[in-house]
Amino acid sequence: MRHQRREFLKLMGVGGAFTLLPLDLARAATPAVQDRATYISASAGDHDDYYVSAFNAAGKILFEQPLPGRGHDLGLRPNHVDVAAVERRPGLYALILDRHTGDVRAKLHCPEDRRFYGHSIYSNDGRFLYVSENDFAHQRGVISVWDANDGYRRVAEFDSYGMGPHELHLMPGGDQIAVANGGLHTHPDQDGRTPLNIATMEPNLSVIDRKTGELVHQASLKQDWHQLSIRHIDVATNGTIAVGFQYHGGLTDEVPLVGTYNPGKEIRAMEAPDTVQVRMRQYCGSVRFDASGQVFGISCPRGGIVTFWDAKTSDFLTHIAAPDGCGLSATDRAGEFVNTSGLGNGWRMDAIRRKRVELPDDSHKSLRWDNHLQRIAI
Amino acid sequence: MSLQFCWRTTCLLTTAAALFISIAAPKAHADIPDENYQLILEHLLTTVMPPKLDALHGATSDLADTLEDFCSDPDEDGLADARGDFHTAMDIWQEIQPWRMGPLVANGRDQHIEYWPDKHGTATRQFRKLMFNKPAAFTDPVKLSEASAALQGFPALEEVLFDDAHSNALTSASEDGIFLCQYGSAIATNLVTITDELRDEWPGFAEAMRNAGPDSMDYPTAKFAATDLYRALHEGLLIISTQKLGRPLGDGEKDAKASRGESETSKRSLRNIHHNLIGLLAIYDGKWGDAGEEGKGLAALIDSSLLDRSFRLNWQTVQDTLADLPPSLAELLDQPDGYQKLVDLQGQIDFLTTLVENDVGGNTNLGGGFNALDGD
Repeated sequence: MRHQRREFLKLMGVGGAFTLLPLDLARAATPAVQDRATYISASAGDHDDYYVSAFNAAGKILFEQPLPGRGHDLGLRPNHVDVAAVERRPGLYALILDRHTGDVRAKLHCPEDRRFYGHSIYSNDGRFLYVSENDFAHQRGVISVWDANDGYRRVAEFDSYGMGPHELHLMPGGDQIAVANGGLHTHPDQDGRTPLNIATMEPNLSVIDRKTGELVHQASLKQDWHQLSIRHIDVATNGTIAVGFQYHGGLTDEVPLVGTYNPGKEIRAMEAPDTVQVRMRQYCGSVRFDASGQVFGISCPRGGIVTFWDAKTSDFLTHIAAPDGCGLSATDRAGEFVNTSGLGNGWRMDAIRRKRVELPDDSHKSLRWDNHLQRIAI
Repeated sequence: MSLQFCWRTTCLLTTAAALFISIAAPKAHADIPDENYQLILEHLLTTVMPPKLDALHGATSDLADTLEDFCSDPDEDGLADARGDFHTAMDIWQEIQPWRMGPLVANGRDQHIEYWPDKHGTATRQFRKLMFNKPAAFTDPVKLSEASAALQGFPALEEVLFDDAHSNALTSASEDGIFLCQYGSAIATNLVTITDELRDEWPGFAEAMRNAGPDSMDYPTAKFAATDLYRALHEGLLIISTQKLGRPLGDGEKDAKASRGESETSKRSLRNIHHNLIGLLAIYDGKWGDAGEEGKGLAALIDSSLLDRSFRLNWQTVQDTLADLPPSLAELLDQPDGYQKLVDLQGQIDFLTTLVENDVGGNTNLGGGFNALDGD
């Protein structure tokens, strides 16, 4: 692992003894509080009360907007105040909130024959919101299209080309959408969350033309790994997709939990050293690229660790313990992330130096932070 | 004690415990000082586990010595001795096996000690090829350590010592027998090396767990470190239910197959579970044979004596059930009600799992957080 980190530092242009010290000093001279971004996430209180909450880089709560049910991820409308909070699966509502105040600006209702799956993304021009949905009667995934310029009217939908679509992201250029089809069939009559097809599930990663709805690329894992649900992804500026899996097979099965995908090629599976791989507990939460686009982090809340990977070399870099840590967002510095926990903690993490610093303001500890965290740059 | 009586009694105790806990819920889930977790880590990792790793190393060393003697002068008695030493080593390994953490899983060590479950029949396929070619490298423990995990460890040695097809060859020192004996001896010697590494690496791992604190990137609190012990207890039961029992049970009585069980060639699938439960209870209780002290495991965090008593009684019920069953799955499934007995045993293990999740997990505050328990 030490060797891998050294290689990585070279690739980052900060390798060797010469650059280690200056980078350390640079970090020390510019404390985290100078990060002027806002971090925003779904959250929960202790009494089945749910919110979208925002905090600053120090961890100070800026607002808490109550939600009718548990949220999941948030979609950020580019160059606009809108934030889309889509209810987690099987979701019935989505709220459009003001990112500065949390005020509700619009409400989206899921059609009766669909259920929201917690993730959404805006087009680069901010006009259209894309939401992953379950067409449960036909056991297929759907991406719905909502026109933000027309009161968030539902204007179209297209196939996700798989079952159980979850996280989705725009590809570079903004014309295509990458969709993680988890492969799981669920039905609201049976709680809407319990997988009904573990034995036959077929997850895939699809890249779809968002204007025509046509499939452009698709990749699956080998048949032996068909129980690796492809759930969370992030896309680097060069088009590399980082992928986190959730395994629905045996606890002791040796399967990869992380991969990268470059459309047109195969999914490249990656594994951590055994002692870390076991601590990932067959489950990945959030996936996020850093500011450089070379490092990505993958949180593993069941194991209470965040793992870090080099997308260029496909090497595991390091891991940092984070009890119940799941929400993950990149700061504007290479190798640096903010991670939030269901136990109320928030940390800044440095994947290059393997450091974890707790956010200094305790106000954020009053909430349990949900699966995903977004950063709003000022 | 009759199984029916015992099961009913403990169910009643559990209900009573549940009522008690529901009344005392706020107290039961109160914050527990990190020092309390620290004491448990100290006890389990530095007092309880090291002698067991010594015992495993000792048992594999005895096995290697016995095999060496047997190979130099093979006869029926020698084979019986080797089989006896195999069982002794396997007993202690099965107690350690559920502690899936640190050095036990590093570098695939647990798989090198025991490659199981073998879903695709890799070991059988590779063993056939091995017997066809009889490569000398596989009689060299060092070279063997670089070979496929499926050809190392206890299952491979079990194939050598317990498959009836090989017995005559082994004792008559035929060409096949000589190769098999040397291969078996190499496996045992390799196990000695692996268990020695395991024993050597454990103190460093225990130290990292014991030194949990905000500066540690691995274990920021003692409570977080103790979560790994809780998970070993929880997952150990899940593995027994879903793999060790679930695989042979199949989709129904007609689909049941003893050969899908663990160590069924040596007719000890259920004996393995008995020993798994000994190692798992040590996490809760703090005492493991002669090592440790009762009440110094996770049980130390449980402030309800009724709940503690209920948990122990339920655990003992499962061990009593196992004591009434033959060690071999094939033998059990040959009985007219054997399948149902196996289903019942799985039900009892699942009930223990529920107690661990609800009672132990809840009262020790180690049961998992918001995201870990209900993520998406």
